[in-house]
Amino acid sequence: MLHEAEEKEEETVKGTKEAILEVIERPGDNRTEGGREGIGTRALENKMELIGLGLSYGDRKVLEDINMPIPARSITAVIGPSGCGKSSLLRCLNRMNELVDGARVEGKVLLDGEDVYANGFDVVGLRRRVGMVFQKPNPFPKSIYENVAYGPRLYGVKQRKVLDRIVEESLRRAALWDEVKDKLGSSALSLSGGQQQRLCIARVLAVQPEVILLDEPCSALDPISTQRIEDLLHELKELYTIVIVTHNMQQAARVSDFTGFITIDEQGSPGRLVEFGETREVFTNPKEKKTEDYITGRFG
Amino acid sequence: MRGYSRTIAKPEINTSEAGLKNGNGWRGLLEKKAARAAARARWAERVASFIFRTSAAVSLVVLAFIIGTILARGLGTALDPSFLFGKPQALKEGGGIGPMLFSSLYLTLLTSVIVVPLGVGAALYLAEFSREGRLVRLIRWGTESLSSISSVIFGIFGMVFFVIYLRFGYSLLAGALTLTLMNLPTVMRVTEESVRAVPGSYREASLSLGASRWETTKKVVLPAALPGITTGVVLTMGRIMGESAALVYTVGIFVRKIPLSPLQPAAPMAANIWHIYTEGALIPDWMRVASGEAAALLVLVLFFNLAAGALAGIIRKKMGIMN
Repeated sequence: MLHEAEEKEEETVKGTKEAILEVIERPGDNRTEGGREGIGTRALENKMELIGLGLSYGDRKVLEDINMPIPARSITAVIGPSGCGKSSLLRCLNRMNELVDGARVEGKVLLDGEDVYANGFDVVGLRRRVGMVFQKPNPFPKSIYENVAYGPRLYGVKQRKVLDRIVEESLRRAALWDEVKDKLGSSALSLSGGQQQRLCIARVLAVQPEVILLDEPCSALDPISTQRIEDLLHELKELYTIVIVTHNMQQAARVSDFTGFITIDEQGSPGRLVEFGETREVFTNPKEKKTEDYITGRFG
Repeated sequence: MRGYSRTIAKPEINTSEAGLKNGNGWRGLLEKKAARAAARARWAERVASFIFRTSAAVSLVVLAFIIGTILARGLGTALDPSFLFGKPQALKEGGGIGPMLFSSLYLTLLTSVIVVPLGVGAALYLAEFSREGRLVRLIRWGTESLSSISSVIFGIFGMVFFVIYLRFGYSLLAGALTLTLMNLPTVMRVTEESVRAVPGSYREASLSLGASRWETTKKVVLPAALPGITTGVVLTMGRIMGESAALVYTVGIFVRKIPLSPLQPAAPMAANIWHIYTEGALIPDWMRVASGEAAALLVLVLFFNLAAGALAGIIRKKMGIMN
C-alpha cells in the first residue's frame, strides 16, 4: 500500500467519507502540507515544540522549563530515570494531564506553530491529531473491529463499507491484520498482550493522527512482541511524527532518531531536560556528564 | 488456649559478624518461633472455621425455614390460576388476587421508569462529571440520609405530600413517587459503584481518541458498567415488589378491579397481605388468601433476584463479543 502512495499527489476537497478513503489510499499524504497553509517550513521541520514547559500537580512541581523540539516524521525518544516526569511530559502534548485534578501547565506546546494551551484551542481536535498509546495495552471491552472503528465512528463515519476499509487498513498498518482478519468480531480482550498493544496502535491509526505519542508501549510485553512493535515504529515514522517515552535505553537507541534526556536532581525536585539531540550523538558523544552517567548505567 | 508468648524465652541473638555469616544468628530462634506460631495458627484456623460454618448454617436454616413455611402454606393456592388471576372477594370464600398481582407489577414498572433514569443520571453526574465540592457533598449527604429513613416515614410523607397536597389521591403514581424517593439512594449507590469500577484506562483511551466526556460515558463507561447497574436495578425492583409500609398510605390496600390509570388506587400484594392479616376478618378464608398471596409474592421476588444475576451474565457475555 505504500507504493500506491506516491502516485497521486494533489489534495481535493470532498465529503468527509470520501476524504477519509482518499487518505487511506494515500498513506504518504500529510495534511499539514495541503490543508494547513501559512505555517511555513519551520513547522515541517518541527512538528511540535515545547517552550518553557512546566507542570505541577497541586503544590508539587513535576517538570520545569522544558525546551525541546519534536521533529516531523521521525521518532523522538524521551528517556530518564523512573519518576523524572517523562510520562507526564508526554501527557502535556495532547493535554491528557487535564484529567488530573490540580494539574497546571506553564509555558507553551506548539503544534504546527499553534499553542495547544491557548484559549479556545479545540482539545478534542488536538487529541485526534495527536494520538496516544499507553503503557498498559488498554483495548475497550468490545470486539476487535469495534475497537478500531471507535474513533472513526466518533467522527461520524457510519457507512459499513467505509468502516470496513478503515479497520482493515489500520490493522494492516499495525501489522495485526493477518493475525485477526478471521476473528474481527471476537473480543479484543481475547488477544495476547502484544496483539492488544498493536490493536491499540491500530485504533490510533484509524483516526489518522499526525503525531503518535507512545508511553512505554513495550514495558508490559515480551521481547518478541517488543521487537514487532519496534519494527512497526520504523515503518510508521514514514507517515507520522512519533514520540516515545521509554526507560529502556537500548530501545531508545534502536528506534529513535532524536533523544531527549530528562532527569531530576533529587527525589521531589522537578524534572528538567538535560540534553536533546540526534540519538547517535546523545548516545555516543553526550555533551553533559549527567547524560553520560545515565547512559553508561552509573545511575538511574 | 495457653499463653504461648509468655513461655518463650528472651531471644538470644548472635549479631556478631561470624554469627550472621554462618546463619546461626537468629535462624534457630525463628525456627522455634515458627513452630509455635504454626501450632497457634492451626488452632485459630479450626476455631474460626467452626464459628463461620456455624453462623452460615444458622442463617441458612432460618432462611430455609421461612421460605419453606411460606411455600408449604401457600404454594398450592398460589399455583392455581383462578386464584392468581382471579377476582378478590370481600365477604365470601374463593377470592383471588388478580388485581393485586397486577398492582404490584404495574407499580414496580412505574417506579422503575421514574427512579432508574433519575438515579443513574445523578450517579453519573457524581462519578463522571462533578468535581468533589460542596454541592457533591450535599447530594451525597442527602441521599445517605434518605437511605436510613424507615419506610413508614416515607409512607406518611407520601400521603401528606403526594396524596393530599398534590391531590393525587390514593394512587399508583403517588406510590411510585414515594418509592422513588425511597429507592433513589440504592440505585445511585449501585450505579456509582459500578461506574467507578470501570478501569480508568478505558476512559483515557476514549478521551485520547478525541471523544468528549459525554461520548466516553455513553460509549465506553456505561456499557462497561451495565452489568452492575442492571443487577442493582433488578434487585431494587424486587425490593419494590416486597414493600408494604410505604404503600399502605399512598396506594391502597384493597381493590376489586384491575387499575389501569396510574392515578387510580391499587393494592400491591405486600400491602394487601398486611391488610388481610390485620383487618381482614371479613374474608372468611382470609388465611388461605394471605398464605397464597405471600407464596406468590415470594416466588416473584425470588424470580427477580435470580433474574438479576442471569441478566448481568448475559450482558457481560454479549459485551465481550459485540459492541
